[in-house]
Amino acid sequence: MLFESKTIVRSRHAAVALALLTCGTCSFAQSAASPADFSGSWERRDDVGGGSFGGILEKIIPKAVLKPEFIEANRREAARQQAGDVVAFSSKWCQTFHYPFFMQHSAAWHIVQTTDELIQIPEVHTFARHIYLDGRKHPDPAALVPNVNGHSIGKWQGNSLLVDTIGFVPGGGTPGGGRIGPATHLTETFTLLDAGKKLQVTFTWEDPSIFLKPHTYNFTYYKSAPDSYALEDYCHADEATQSGSVVEPKQQ
Amino acid sequence: MNRKLTEIVVAIAISCFAASAQQAKSAVPDLNGYWALQDDSRNVPRSKLTAQAANTNQDELAKHDMQEIRWCHWYGVPYLMGTSPLQIAQNLTGREIAIIFSTRNPGRHIYLDTPHPNSGTYDATSTGHSIGKWEGETLVVDTVGFSEEGLTAIPGGGRRTKNSHLVERFRLLRNGNQLSVVFTWTDSKTFAEPHIYEFRYFRLPKGFEMSNVDCDPADEARAKFLLSPPGTQIP
Repeated sequence: MLFESKTIVRSRHAAVALALLTCGTCSFAQSAASPADFSGSWERRDDVGGGSFGGILEKIIPKAVLKPEFIEANRREAARQQAGDVVAFSSKWCQTFHYPFFMQHSAAWHIVQTTDELIQIPEVHTFARHIYLDGRKHPDPAALVPNVNGHSIGKWQGNSLLVDTIGFVPGGGTPGGGRIGPATHLTETFTLLDAGKKLQVTFTWEDPSIFLKPHTYNFTYYKSAPDSYALEDYCHADEATQSGSVVEPKQQ
Repeated sequence: MNRKLTEIVVAIAISCFAASAQQAKSAVPDLNGYWALQDDSRNVPRSKLTAQAANTNQDELAKHDMQEIRWCHWYGVPYLMGTSPLQIAQNLTGREIAIIFSTRNPGRHIYLDTPHPNSGTYDATSTGHSIGKWEGETLVVDTVGFSEEGLTAIPGGGRRTKNSHLVERFRLLRNGNQLSVVFTWTDSKTFAEPHIYEFRYFRLPKGFEMSNVDCDPADEARAKFLLSPPGTQIP
């Protein structure tokens, strides 16, 4: 009787294990599913009464606390703009936008989400940003090839996505007057609000060679209607040159 | 005891079957990943052009293409589908599939099971507006709404125009390690009959990362290289 009982228990375990194993493949898709669905088209709106996209930035973005040389560089740039030179060289020449420029641009941007990656696809002249979710690490510094979006890895914390980015090509800037260098480190938190109608992204920029303390701010994006679709925001430097606003393709 | 055991197994089996059925209903081939073209990836016959298209000034078209490259305009489809590698990303929701390229561009968005927007309000683009649906194991993508921006040459002859209509059929081969895309272009002003060709892409290893190929219209040396006679000494 004792023997029979043990056999039955062992058989039950085996049968349940077999059933669960068989079921394993069918439940994988659910267990591998992401805790939150960020996919869709996202855009900024004037929800603070800024009056313009630049005006919104002034109202919601704190000034970065910078080392003196960057404060001076910002002062010179502001003086140049005050003198009427309001369009940056890179804008006149349709050069590639560095991250996070498309995140504060008026054009919508899009998220496509797989189990392994979250991909941000802007409409403006730059590259898609890949946030790897498959557990990989940043490449070894010797093997890291810098690019305008840096190298990004993400992990889930509850329903939020934490994103860690290094490896930026220097030359970009942040809202609030910050600059981006080769050693700049960005951490972001992506969180859905209002039952998925809004997406809040909190940015924290760190680089002791530029910032005296971490520069933190957040943006809220609004989800576009389900029947909306992506556009192409084209930039034709040749038209700008023909209109006389650019005459020589020389770097400044 | 035996009855209890049987009940447990049956209960698990039933829930398993239900989950499997649900998954089977939503399961589609997994195109996710990075794909590369090889030397033997392209089966492209010559197209049969209309007389109007055949008589197009080729010098003007070549000049147009060079200007598009020089100024880093969006190159568009079909050029982008001939670049390698490219990434296909199937959104978890099943409502969209994106194709991402290494060149500077806004990618392709394929919206599933939805109609094209009203052509009267749609702004034409170099990649057009794409909608898709699954026909068994094949993803069928229908694209209209093209602009004439970018590199418009179609493999085999002919050019993308505002009237072009493209149907692509994506199908996995060889245990998902190859991807066949059959392209069919129709355009009554360009082609005397539908122009069909096929590319086969090869799946790249998991963990692959695509590099970016930048384009800088302000690069003076680049501009001179592109617009000067070949062999001109340019620093």
